[in-house]
Amino acid sequence: MKITSIQKIATIIIICSGIFGLITVNGCVESKQVAAKSGAQLWGENCSRCHNMPAPATFSQEQWKTVGMHMQSRALLTNKEKDKIVEFLQQSSN
Amino acid sequence: MKPNKLITKVLLFAVFAFLKANTSIAQGTDNTDVSKQVSALKPGESNFMMVGLVTFGFVNQNITTTGLSPNKTNSIGDADRYEFSPMFLWRHGDKLLAEFEPSWDGNAIGVNWADVSYYVAPGFIVRGGYLVLPFGTYSKRLAAGWINKLPSDPYGMDMPGSDFGVEVEGGFPLGSMKWSYDIAVSNGFQLNPNGQIAGVGINAINNGKTVTGRLALLPLSNSSLEIGVSGLMGSLATPTGDSNIYNNPMASMYAVDFNFIKNINPVQINIKGQYNISNINKQTYSSPDSSLPKYSFENNASSYFAQLSLRPSKSKNKILRNFELAGRYVNYTTPKQSLWGQNYSEMDICLDYWLSWRTVIKLGYESTKSDGTTSQSVSTGLDGTSTTVNRMIIQFSTEF
Ligand code: HEC
Repeated sequence: MKITSIQKIATIIIICSGIFGLITVNGCVESKQVAAKSGAQLWGENCSRCHNMPAPATFSQEQWKTVGMHMQSRALLTNKEKDKIVEFLQQSSN
Repeated sequence: MKPNKLITKVLLFAVFAFLKANTSIAQGTDNTDVSKQVSALKPGESNFMMVGLVTFGFVNQNITTTGLSPNKTNSIGDADRYEFSPMFLWRHGDKLLAEFEPSWDGNAIGVNWADVSYYVAPGFIVRGGYLVLPFGTYSKRLAAGWINKLPSDPYGMDMPGSDFGVEVEGGFPLGSMKWSYDIAVSNGFQLNPNGQIAGVGINAINNGKTVTGRLALLPLSNSSLEIGVSGLMGSLATPTGDSNIYNNPMASMYAVDFNFIKNINPVQINIKGQYNISNINKQTYSSPDSSLPKYSFENNASSYFAQLSLRPSKSKNKILRNFELAGRYVNYTTPKQSLWGQNYSEMDICLDYWLSWRTVIKLGYESTKSDGTTSQSVSTGLDGTSTTVNRMIIQFSTEF
């Protein structure tokens, strides 16, 4: 039946992702190319995935810190991405 | 597959994620002890923010149902899509964030979420309260009127919604790729007499809990592609609390979602989609008409949507670059021979004009068709009944 085969596929995907997760869990490092990205670039790449790119002038520096944490959770950004993006938005907010 | 096995797998994964996060706590220079961090928070480092969203519009629709004369309606405000929601964000230092979003839909005031998150370590956020379950992407990431590029939510995407629970989540780099996990344990659902499930709310009346989780991979270095798989597994409560009505009722759900963005100058192309299936193990249900015998059906449902949108966002023309054209196909199939059995499909097209990054005017056209698949022996029901709705919508939505 359809559901059973989909369940099997889902189980396989979950197991594979689990193994994948385990292998990587101790080695979650970024490549040099990714590490070299600027806050502006990360803002361009990450903040237009779900909605339009937010304009830096929208909020104050303190507010960007709050939004940064909020969006880190919504988008599941890495910590470095969040820090760089918030820094960029704070610098460009005035 | 046994639900327990899946729950064990999900939990094992959560434990490894937790161990990983703990290692980062131990290794970090500024993260030595969680209790010290909490007591070191000072009120002066708080930031309180209020944002919110408003969505309203005008709808004009034609409804045709087999055996009935066509019906035309129109409404200002647009009852099915109206929303007014202030949202409160309260940050304490750089570790604690509370979010609260009440919402008025034109009829009742509800709460979309009310939770608090603690940013324990890189890649490890813990949340508790009334939260949006991590299943697929639509509910958590795309449902706001100013984010959705079409005027309506895709039908069948609102399960499992929000629930009282605890959640752990985080995102990590993986070479040039990224991955993320998001797992919640919550009170879960009850199985209603018609075979549909509904949240039990804060007064959990079953012993079991529901586990919901999503794993995602962003395989391209510019984060333009995201693929997620989700699963939900939990035992179901009975509305009266009498566990003898059903035979060990369990729900399982799976979803696959994707999001892809590609810039082919001057046009930005965005493809989004989500596919859900849900299953409730075999039960017998009492007919609402007590003279009819008990009945049973395969309690499987599926829903999906696929969406394409095009925006010439890099165009030199200042007017043209604010336009976006979006098209979407939605399908929702509920269990055949149940009281709510139907095959539903929907085609939508919408032209958006963006007044700012978070304010939009939408001109949409939706065409829906639903064929009833309810058994005649269960009720005088919808079997063979077909309903088509064609509607034109003008909608305004903003986040402020
Ligand atoms: C995974 C989807 C997603 C991504 C990626 C995303 N956002 Fe959001 N954003 C949302 C959603 C959903 C909301 C609506 C509020 C909610 O649901 O909590 C929102 C709301 C906002 C708001 C309104 C205030 C608030 O905090 O709710 C701002 C500002 C914002 N986003 C900025 C950003 C920035 C900056 C980035 C890039 C780091 C970003 N967003 C990336 C989904 C996303």
